[in-house]
Amino acid sequence: MRTLVFIPAWNEEDSVTGVIAGVRQCLPDADVLVIDDGSTDGTAAQARAAGALVASLPFNQGVGAAQQTGYIYALREGYDICAQTDGDGQHPPQELARVVAQVRDGDADMAVGSRYLDPDIAEAGDYRASPMRGLGIRMFRAIVSASTHQRFTDTTSGLRALNRRAMALFGERLSSEFADVEALQRAVHQGLRVKEIPVRMLPRAGGDSFLNPARSLYYIYKTLVVLLAGHVRPRGSNSGSQ
Amino acid sequence: MSAGSAILSAAQSTEPVLRLTTQARIVAAVLAIAFMVLIFELIRRHRLQERYAIIWFLAGVAMLLGAAFPQVLELLAKAMGVRDITIALFSLILFVLLILSLSFTVILSRQAGQITRLAQESAIERLRQEQEGSGSQADRESL
Repeated sequence: MRTLVFIPAWNEEDSVTGVIAGVRQCLPDADVLVIDDGSTDGTAAQARAAGALVASLPFNQGVGAAQQTGYIYALREGYDICAQTDGDGQHPPQELARVVAQVRDGDADMAVGSRYLDPDIAEAGDYRASPMRGLGIRMFRAIVSASTHQRFTDTTSGLRALNRRAMALFGERLSSEFADVEALQRAVHQGLRVKEIPVRMLPRAGGDSFLNPARSLYYIYKTLVVLLAGHVRPRGSNSGSQ
Repeated sequence: MSAGSAILSAAQSTEPVLRLTTQARIVAAVLAIAFMVLIFELIRRHRLQERYAIIWFLAGVAMLLGAAFPQVLELLAKAMGVRDITIALFSLILFVLLILSLSFTVILSRQAGQITRLAQESAIERLRQEQEGSGSQADRESL
């Protein structure tokens, strides 16, 4: 099975080389693609030097648009499986390989690595979040679980693997507000088998946390609106796209 | 008779109090014409696309109609249950502006989506060209 692992990266020149090396070690057969989301540092050059394919968005469009670029590329190039992992080094490549295996073995159309599913791992990992982030995590968990009638614990996880059916759902839709959380809801509503598996994650390699309180609040607002719209959208068909 | 019903009957019986003066009507008409000339000029200089100009022409025509036939405004004020024509006019204009700015946000959103898709297509296309380039280079090297 042809597998593509893509890494959305925005100014991650310090960590992207290590992430690529890890992916190649744990998934030697997979092609590695870095989606450079309008980085102003040496991310693209570092990724090329590390032997990855690089798709550079001409300007920063946000992680949703970067992810979608990965899905579109995987669809058009005929990959059977496409997986995504963060460029900041918080996803151990062994865990990525486990997530990919779920889809490769046909156990799920879409697999998501959750750092909260196994209480022991969550305890040991000490994934402490700021109060605002913690609120968002609990809210999304409750809303997505209620909307899909399926239990989800880590709705914002960027460690995912998809088969072609799931890629098609996210690839060809024109939207600048594509969100991690909504993707779960949409996938379940469209009848896909979505499975969370417990994974260990690492603290960010360096730099500030991506979300400050104001941005957290905006992210929560945006996701709530998208989830609400997603909940009332007709289900079981792809006719709502575009 | 309660105070409420007194006010109600007064509102029903009274004609709109303020009529537009001739001077106000002339000023409005001149402004409306100047406005439409400006729109036309913007189109001529390719600063404004025809498809987006139509709403502004309609706004200009509405202004002109209001100046030429103030009876329309009086009818409108009556229909809205407002005694003062100027207040009816202002509320109406505010509402129209609200709808206009909403329509701009809709257009903006659509274009933001299109820009995102263009950025994605450009990134993928450049990657493909790189791959083709390196692929043919590898072919040459292997020969």
